[in-house]
Amino acid sequence: MTNIEKYNEIFANCFQIKEGQMSKLTYQSVEGWDSVGHMGLIAALEESFDIMLDTDDIIDFSSYEKGKEILKKYDIIF
Amino acid sequence: MTLSSKLLENKTVLITGANRGIGKVLVETFALNGASIWACARKETPDFIEFIRDISSRHNVLIRILYFDLKNETEIKESLKVLITEKSKIDVLVNNAGVFHGGLLQMTTINTIKEVFEINFFSQLFIIQYISRLMIKQKSGSIINMSSIAGMDSYPGYSAYGSSKAALIYATKTLAKELAPFNIRINAIAPGLTDTDMALEMETKAKDTMLNNSVMQRLAKPNEIANTALFLASDLSTFINGQVIRVDGGM
Repeated sequence: MTNIEKYNEIFANCFQIKEGQMSKLTYQSVEGWDSVGHMGLIAALEESFDIMLDTDDIIDFSSYEKGKEILKKYDIIF
Repeated sequence: MTLSSKLLENKTVLITGANRGIGKVLVETFALNGASIWACARKETPDFIEFIRDISSRHNVLIRILYFDLKNETEIKESLKVLITEKSKIDVLVNNAGVFHGGLLQMTTINTIKEVFEINFFSQLFIIQYISRLMIKQKSGSIINMSSIAGMDSYPGYSAYGSSKAALIYATKTLAKELAPFNIRINAIAPGLTDTDMALEMETKAKDTMLNNSVMQRLAKPNEIANTALFLASDLSTFINGQVIRVDGGM
């Protein structure tokens, strides 16, 4: 599975959304992406990519696209 | 009396301030109950190494040591990174390390108060922030914060120490709500005056006042605090969350 496939699968599982909805997805734009959902998303990403995000990056992780940018800092290339 | 029913078999516990006072007894009590342990201390000493070696071999459990200074966030983070690289799970965190300071506010500098808060509050939150991330992935965990009755009752000379412990109690109750969705419990223990080196640091008059207020008229024994932590760490307390348990013999 490629990194983008993994990334999308995590978003799909965490927020019960389809791939077509992802590119414009922002924090709190869907019911599941509240603060608790955010921590679940971070845990799933960390588990899947075997990384540990800094607190600043967890705070900055405000959208689907921003998340990809942040993960690049951890050598996750899309 | 120390409980021994292997209550923590297959659990991994991280204990801060493991080299003295209540922390040492926590290590022994948890090892006796079958836990694997990360024992944290500020610096290496031959006594501590020997203590860990002895407990580990007597109870046949794995005990690993981490060193960091609670005043140094970078050091804490660097040290805890090993948990990630070794993919260690943490089932129980005991935020036990702390520092005592006694003195009237007019005789205490703001820098001293900041230092007390740095160790007794901010570093504890930082460790919880880090370890709870591992627990969120596991979807389970128990966090135990060592507060104090000084965080609930008021005593002259306790403005720095008592405030820092009160802050820890507030954080415990709030975090219980934040972490509950991930099946992580967080509770605090509020020991009365306990028979450790910390009690020796107290002014005699203040110590006597505290003892006189205690129904049982004695100091707590460290194992009485450790046994309460054992209960909160174990599956005997799976529906206890956001609580502060006083272990003070009755006040």
